Amino acid sequence: MKIHSTVLGLVAAGCSLGLTLVPSAQATVSDDDFNALKDLVTKQGQKLDQLEKVHTQDQQAHEQDQQKISQLQQQLSQTQTLATNAVAKAEAASQIQPIYPAPNPAPRATHDFLVTGDAEVQYGKAAGGNGTFGLADFAPIFLFRANDNVLFEAGFDVTLENNVDGNGNPSGGSSTAVDLSFAQLDYFLNDYVTVVAGDMLLPLGTYSERAAGWLNKIPDDPLVRDYLPGSGIGAQLRGAIPIGSGAQLMTYSVYGVNGPSSTSLTNANAGNLDLEGNVGDTQNWHSNPSGGGRIGWFYPWGLHYDVELGVSGQTGQWSDYSGSYLWSAAVLDAAIHLSPYFEVKGEYVNTWQQTDNAGTLNPNGVWVQAGYKLAGLKKDFPVINNLELVGRYDYQNDNQGSIADRYTSGFVYYFSNTLLFEGDYEWYLVHGQNPNGYPPSLFVLQLSFGF
Amino acid sequence: MLNLMSLNINTPPTSAPVSRRFALVGGLAVAIIIIFFVLPGLLLASDTNTNAPAATARASEKKPVRQLSGAELYAIHCNRCHQERYPEEFNQDRWKSLIFHMQVRANLPAEQARIVLKYLQDQSGN
Repeated sequence: MKIHSTVLGLVAAGCSLGLTLVPSAQATVSDDDFNALKDLVTKQGQKLDQLEKVHTQDQQAHEQDQQKISQLQQQLSQTQTLATNAVAKAEAASQIQPIYPAPNPAPRATHDFLVTGDAEVQYGKAAGGNGTFGLADFAPIFLFRANDNVLFEAGFDVTLENNVDGNGNPSGGSSTAVDLSFAQLDYFLNDYVTVVAGDMLLPLGTYSERAAGWLNKIPDDPLVRDYLPGSGIGAQLRGAIPIGSGAQLMTYSVYGVNGPSSTSLTNANAGNLDLEGNVGDTQNWHSNPSGGGRIGWFYPWGLHYDVELGVSGQTGQWSDYSGSYLWSAAVLDAAIHLSPYFEVKGEYVNTWQQTDNAGTLNPNGVWVQAGYKLAGLKKDFPVINNLELVGRYDYQNDNQGSIADRYTSGFVYYFSNTLLFEGDYEWYLVHGQNPNGYPPSLFVLQLSFGF
Repeated sequence: MLNLMSLNINTPPTSAPVSRRFALVGGLAVAIIIIFFVLPGLLLASDTNTNAPAATARASEKKPVRQLSGAELYAIHCNRCHQERYPEEFNQDRWKSLIFHMQVRANLPAEQARIVLKYLQDQSGN
């Protein structure tokens, strides 16, 4: 703008000077003066051209500067937007963070996942029946140790079953059954208390907690265990308290579970007791849960010389149809080891069931089992040293007119510490009715593997 | 457990005399009482008989109590339910998970479980 004004000023001044001086110039201007004036005008024209070029260049530079300024303004705007967003995100993140973070007892990654368990194949033949491979069982236990205080464990039973119709006749094919044996969270509160919650194996006696196929030395469960639930949904406190400086100890378990239920909502008759139902996918089938527990005493007086005694029980409603009907159980358990080769263990079970149609029933029973490892004979026979002889007596009384005695003798051959071949022969004596269809005799072979 | 109902059982067994049954149950009851109450009493009495002068004398000469080792506790606690697993069968992390599992399942005292775990981890070799 400044250059433009100067040029115009010079042009105006030149014109004014020319007009003013013309009359006198005609009279007085010589050729030299005219030529000088002509050169002057020519030079001024050249300067004017140069100034116009400079002006054009200045305008171009100005436009370029304007473009750069515009770009810089856009970049600044973007930077401001990013900064604003970053502040907003930081504020949002600070609001998401808990004000009081939950304690994390694991200072580093300490978790571990492990699969253990057992598998069995069983062959059986009952007197009067056909022999069959009656069981192929895969029973994994999943252990997830989250840290030094938390363990989650879940056990399954995966088996094959023949498809049958409504009358029990073969209908072709087979299906796979997957049963959840237990699924529980263990929280080690301190050295003396462990909190357990979930689907728990119940400490009614010791059998259900120590009954994996490669642990028990006889394939069949004791008959009287039919009168007890194997597991229950609920919570439990358990632990052990050492006595003295040796390995003697007291153990305890206290729990609350949904408890047994009824298969009928319209009566509380004897046959409707459901020990394994009421697992929590609906509201409780009755108004009150069940409570139970076990107290045990373990006294070792040498390596492989020990005695363990336990008292356990459970009580609670099984039906609240027009009143309150209780189911209760008491179990005494005992185990003795006399050397690495000889053991005796057993349980006495008594239950009470209040009913609408039969008063209070009192199903009960007992089992006692003994085992002797022939390695105790100190003979140098490899086959003999891997053999254990076992025997068991069962008694079962349903208090409804059926009593069964069962005598079992058998063996365990240890291929290794976890691969066992078991065989036993069983004699049944049933007095009165035979609702369970017990045969006169039965033999069972089983291959068990613990992993 | 074998499903007995699937074995086509048809033959009903014979009954035993009721008096024999009661005798059997009575005998079992006596055996249980002996196992539960008499035997533990005898064991405790033999261990803590402080009335007799001889016992007092023996107590004064009692040797210092020795802390049981991990191997001893392992033999005492684990072998009562199953064959012992070899320490080399699992690595240290696996043993820790297994001992946690058994501490709950068998109600093992925490301190003794830690001693057993250390023994197994030391012997595991990995």
